[in-house]
Amino acid sequence: MSRFPFFLSLVLLGSALAATASQAQIFAADQARTPQVEVRLLSDSASVQPGQRLVLALEQRIAPHWHTYWSNPGDSGQPTAIAWKLPAGATAGPILWPTPERIDIGPLANYGYSTQVLLLSEIQLPKDLQPGRDLAFEAAVTWLVCKDICLPQEAKLSLHLPVAAKAQASVQADSLKAARTALPGKAPWPVQAQRDPQGKLLLSWPAKGEAPGQAQFFAAQWGPVRHAEVQTLSREGQQWQLSLAPGESPLAAGQKLQGLLVLGEGADRKAYQVDLPLRAASAEGSTSNGEVVALLPALLLALVGGLVLNLMPCVFPVLSIKAFSLVQQAHGHADEARRHGVAYTLGVLASFAVLGAVLLLLRGAGAEIGWGLQFQSPLFVLGVAWLLFGLGLSLSGLLEVGAGLGGVGSSLAEKRGLAGSFFSGVLAAVVATPCTAPFMGAAVAYALQQPGPQLLAVFLSLGLGLALPYLLLSWWPALQRLMPRPGAWMNVLKQGLAFPMYGAAIWLVWVLALQGGAQAVLIALCGMALIALAAWLRQVSRHARSAPWRRLGLASALGALMAALMLGAGLPVAAPQSAAAGVAEAGFEPYTPERLTELRAEGKPVFVNLTAAWCISCLVNEKVALSRPEVKAAFAERGIHYLKGDWTHQDPRISALLAEHGRSGVPLYLYYPSGAEPRILPQLLTPGLVLDELRADKKT
Amino acid sequence: MMTLPATRRLLIVGALSLLSAGLAQAQAQLDQAAPGFRAQTADGKTVDLASLKGKTVVLEWTNHDCPYVRKHYNSGNMQGQQKDAAAHGVVWLQVISSAPGEQGYVEGPQALELNSKRGAAPSATLLDPTGQIGKAYGAQTTPHMYIVNPEGQLVYKGGIDSIPSNKVEDLARAEPYVKQALAEMAAGRKPNPANTRPYGCSVKYAKG
Repeated sequence: MSRFPFFLSLVLLGSALAATASQAQIFAADQARTPQVEVRLLSDSASVQPGQRLVLALEQRIAPHWHTYWSNPGDSGQPTAIAWKLPAGATAGPILWPTPERIDIGPLANYGYSTQVLLLSEIQLPKDLQPGRDLAFEAAVTWLVCKDICLPQEAKLSLHLPVAAKAQASVQADSLKAARTALPGKAPWPVQAQRDPQGKLLLSWPAKGEAPGQAQFFAAQWGPVRHAEVQTLSREGQQWQLSLAPGESPLAAGQKLQGLLVLGEGADRKAYQVDLPLRAASAEGSTSNGEVVALLPALLLALVGGLVLNLMPCVFPVLSIKAFSLVQQAHGHADEARRHGVAYTLGVLASFAVLGAVLLLLRGAGAEIGWGLQFQSPLFVLGVAWLLFGLGLSLSGLLEVGAGLGGVGSSLAEKRGLAGSFFSGVLAAVVATPCTAPFMGAAVAYALQQPGPQLLAVFLSLGLGLALPYLLLSWWPALQRLMPRPGAWMNVLKQGLAFPMYGAAIWLVWVLALQGGAQAVLIALCGMALIALAAWLRQVSRHARSAPWRRLGLASALGALMAALMLGAGLPVAAPQSAAAGVAEAGFEPYTPERLTELRAEGKPVFVNLTAAWCISCLVNEKVALSRPEVKAAFAERGIHYLKGDWTHQDPRISALLAEHGRSGVPLYLYYPSGAEPRILPQLLTPGLVLDELRADKKT
Repeated sequence: MMTLPATRRLLIVGALSLLSAGLAQAQAQLDQAAPGFRAQTADGKTVDLASLKGKTVVLEWTNHDCPYVRKHYNSGNMQGQQKDAAAHGVVWLQVISSAPGEQGYVEGPQALELNSKRGAAPSATLLDPTGQIGKAYGAQTTPHMYIVNPEGQLVYKGGIDSIPSNKVEDLARAEPYVKQALAEMAAGRKPNPANTRPYGCSVKYAKG
């Protein structure tokens, strides 16, 4: 029994030898065959011209169950090799390897080809070729073909092509072109490689569109990845993640992982080249990194972040209204006040839940989104600006809010009673979004990476933080007693509170100017005039004695509002000017991934500032830290290149850089010391902090 | 009284098979104790790795029909290294992990005959038709080389040299990793490189 396989292998061996012998007969032809493999030399040109970049291909037709090898053969085997003998002056490029397949043999894995493969090579012809000549291209080809057993084989092939004044395509030109197009390309999205705490390599890329079905990584070299190990694909938030077992010589951080990422199956396979440094494990204890934050700390952070939001300039005006209404309610029944507190909290929670749900939906739709993104939509900015202006008018007393003026957020928020409390909660949540407080960044980035329930939990926690002070105030009568007594001063206070509203509206118009230019400002201001007109019409007509007059007043007020809305619909969407120019002074270059790579390749230190006009903390940081003379001097002294990415409008390249560092919103400050891994600076900067960071670089 | 209930026996068997599966998965690690084994040799004896403590041991995975193995035997390179090792008191063990019915599988007498025909001089030839030793070491190719130091630690694993080819012409240009490693160890140093890419045919383990 055991003798038979031995005999069989002798027979196979014999046939291999016979194949080798038969090569002598077919030497110098363009094709050759062994029992396992037919090889053929193909050209994309029937005739060539001087200076042409010719494409030659070695075709292998492989018998069933046999395979030849890719550039990295895997656990065993050997890649096909071509030694060219070319006309004088011609040079051959390396083999352009098509996407291989994984062939499992017991506990081992090989990377190779079965059935048929075209191995393309580019041949650069010299310029001084004389038309009429005949060029000979010879290829000494060696390959290993394996089934259960392996047979090394070789062939010498040659091809003769005439030189013409103008090259002529061959009959194979199309199939060679198709093979070339099918070669692995660059990934159209950012791919990252990092090591997880268990030592596995994680390859991740954005989860867009439908699931890839199957994902495989083919390492270009032996060592970094264990070829035969199962590779598991999972979805982590917005990313697909392929987990790879490290091989015999694992990569260190910064070393490059090279290979092919292959998605899909069968004829639909798509292969992308991977050539990227392994990311350093993120600094421990850094709250800025989404991965470090576990759910419970994230919930706590979100709660604290929500509390901090109360102090943010974009929330404050709304909260001042709320505080004002609390003053009134504190003198009602305690139960009543509590109900208002709860209604307000519910309003905040409801809008955060809606926001979370919308984010989930958008994430599902594969949109590249981030916190504060809604402020990247000019229409949204315009809407909020008008809303705040309307609120201002109401506080000023121009618009006495009563029944009948429905549909306007201001009226809802101003409404007395539980509905009013509920809607002021909604309003607080809506205007709070652009204030990415330091604590919130990490929590939200974390949430965006999480499955739905966790994301909602983090958002609700954030909302609870925002609502908490007022909830406490409404429940704790002792605190309420500290509130001042109502009186005439309340009206004065109310009118005074209109000014923060106008201020916020002005800020938003400024943001709008950066987003939509002068025309947007015109639209915003005309809209405000129309809103004021509507308010005035309503105000003067509501006390009219005859009903038709009142109706006319109401109708014309509504007409003015409609006109404003129609104006808003004509808002320019595209940016007429670079927003960056408006954000800060000179002394920086706009961020592009190419420029960053280029500077890094030159070994220059780089500081990257990702900002947006609607991001208040960004602007504050620039004012108090980044544009201070001592910081500027330090930058100049150390030759640091300052790149600024403006996210006022959506920019997928900036979103990609944010995602790379586990963020979903601005600000993000990155310092890339010369030849070292980037360091993330905190979201609140001081000049000393920035200088320390630069000095740390000098010490190392 | 002494017989265990059937379910409990089943549990123990299950646990043991899980354990052995786990052991089979664990690959030989450099600078750690080399996986122990007790194996039948071609001349009908048994070799226990533990009994070879105090000696340097070379393990050579082989398959006489593999073109890469033939490269090293047809050129006399492998036999030369085996003799050199023996002269320095190094134990050289061939290991055949081909399963019955697969290429390279031989029984004892045939293994001895092959070696005498080729002029090979290993200290012994281990028969590993179940692939147990091969899998414990993570042997992937023929040849695939391992060196265990006198303390029983694995100090080298990988290729026999630096040029993965089946061509005899490449021998002269290649860096002879195993030869170098043994020389370094003789000089009291650690092999460097200690972990290289193995090359050759796949080890013909039992399928499935």
